[in-house]
Amino acid sequence: METIGFLMDGFAVALTPYNLMFALFGAFVGTLIGCLPGLGPANGVAILIPLAFTLGLPPETAMILLTSVYAGAMYGGRISSILLNIPGDEPAMMTCLDGYPMAQQGRAADALAISAIASFAGSLIGTIGLIMLAPVLARFALTFGPAEYFALFLLAFATLGGITGKNPMKTVIAATLGIMISTVGIDISTGTQRYTGGVLELYEGIDFILAIVGLFAISELLFFVEARMGKGRSKVKVGKLTLSFKEIVSTIPTQLRGGVLGFIAGVLPGAGASLGSFISYTLEKSVLGKKGRFGEGDIRGVVAPEAGNNGAASGALVPMLTLGVPGSGTTAVLLAMLISLNITPGPLMFTQNADIVWGVIAALLIGNVLLLVLNIPMIGVFVRLLSVPPMYLLPIVTMVAFVGIYSISHSTFDLYFMIVFGVGGFILRKLEIPMVPIILGLLLGPEMEKNLGHALILSDGDWTTLWSSPLAIGLWLVAGLGLVLPPLFGPLLRRRMRSAIKEGPVSD
Amino acid sequence: MTGMGDRILGLCLLVLAVAYGWVAQQWPEPFGGAEGVGPETFPTMLAIVLVVGSLYLMIKPDADARWPVGKSALELVISIIVLVVYALLLEPLGFIISTTLAVGVLSWRMGAPPKGSFVTGLVSAVVVFGLFNYGLSLSLPNGLLGGF
Repeated sequence: METIGFLMDGFAVALTPYNLMFALFGAFVGTLIGCLPGLGPANGVAILIPLAFTLGLPPETAMILLTSVYAGAMYGGRISSILLNIPGDEPAMMTCLDGYPMAQQGRAADALAISAIASFAGSLIGTIGLIMLAPVLARFALTFGPAEYFALFLLAFATLGGITGKNPMKTVIAATLGIMISTVGIDISTGTQRYTGGVLELYEGIDFILAIVGLFAISELLFFVEARMGKGRSKVKVGKLTLSFKEIVSTIPTQLRGGVLGFIAGVLPGAGASLGSFISYTLEKSVLGKKGRFGEGDIRGVVAPEAGNNGAASGALVPMLTLGVPGSGTTAVLLAMLISLNITPGPLMFTQNADIVWGVIAALLIGNVLLLVLNIPMIGVFVRLLSVPPMYLLPIVTMVAFVGIYSISHSTFDLYFMIVFGVGGFILRKLEIPMVPIILGLLLGPEMEKNLGHALILSDGDWTTLWSSPLAIGLWLVAGLGLVLPPLFGPLLRRRMRSAIKEGPVSD
Repeated sequence: MTGMGDRILGLCLLVLAVAYGWVAQQWPEPFGGAEGVGPETFPTMLAIVLVVGSLYLMIKPDADARWPVGKSALELVISIIVLVVYALLLEPLGFIISTTLAVGVLSWRMGAPPKGSFVTGLVSAVVVFGLFNYGLSLSLPNGLLGGF
């Protein structure tokens, strides 16, 4: 039961007034970020990283802030799904199905309230799962040698496209580009200058924070400019809350099922929150069958995907915290924060930085309570902010991104670099090259090279060492499957998702 | 011909991969003699992977995306120029003036009325400046408003 002890220590860290304040701030900002269309969670967390950095926050506070933002963004995603029928982020897509019809029937307030409760339940289940699973996995991961790590990184890249990913070759290309960018700078083991071209600013390598902010925030602005969506869209009135206690109780089984399924989907590499909400919605539909009115505003149709995607959000933290291998865009950005705080992610973090890990987990629990409390009475505030049209909002967000990057180094060189990444990101996104593998490549590239080097030195330059242990072979096999399966099963799943959504919006 | 976008990208990536791989072979052998892995080992592997990937893109391209033309393209170029000019003027003009201009122009080009845009720009600039300089004591450039 040492886990409980660690968790208590975690609470001691998270409950200090200073950290609690940042958790509250993070939860509020996160909800905002989640509900504003065009500002997904990965994007929001990315913009906040330079701020957390320049404020000189201690590591545990910085991580608590960003984790709360992450949890908040998952809550916020549903607000625009329900009111505008546009998901704030991809996992919130399934919430549109029943949430928007409910809003049209004048039950928007009910849909918002019940989805907040479902989000809470999902997150709670996911976090409990995280508490139980993470230490076990971390202990197991201690047996990994450099060869296994190398294979694990490959697995992370291979499965990142996800089961619904379109063209696995584009994932490979994106990851390679990311790793290539990470090799710029002075080689750590030999001191050779690589690809610096003699430019002093490049000697230390390219700061991945500015790459991330450029790739996400700046390219998002350009997308909005191109789509001319500046005016925003009309939304449904919220109205009065008529949700009865009985109705809440009647959705409890749905919440439990959704949360557990979501958590499992979140832990698995490559599945992620979108699949979590999709599976729990489909399961709910087949379990309740004719008893429900799914697609026409059934309350359980709102509960299931929300519990699912929040469960998955917590689940996705498991591989990130224990193996240092994130399974989604947002967790990749959280990993970036950890690395820039000089914390080596992975199994050792549980012993060396136990206060941070458990502080973050405790913050997740506290954050969820805060979010639930914030979300029911303050829903009006968020709704009002939702009506700020993107034409005012996105320029301000861009400006905040500029300020954040500028305040790290006080050099305009970094700003130009960020713009270059933004334009490059826009072009690559147009060509359907995914952004997340690029970022993961940037983050994991140096680790990957280091592990490759160690493995080869241990084996005296014998390359077969990379696939000599059964564990490594297993990882290579899964990585292979991760690349081969999506083209086979992806179209089928995508078709199902689309037919479930029909005229629902397509988010990228 | 369909898939031009992917083919062009594939070609660019191929050039990049070859150049990247070639540069890696030029580095001097590190002090202490060659070992199993040198500074060039990993980049060489990456170059090979990217060559394969880019060839695949050129042989089996996806359908083309819709690229902005005409007015949309112009707006995009304007936005990028605004961002570059913003970075350029941030230090000489100071944070408040350059931010008012940048946020103002961007919102105006995204469809807001000009007056509203620049007011938004000014207000957000002053708020962020105050927050950073006085609240968080991180100095943003004063520029022309030196004594502010």
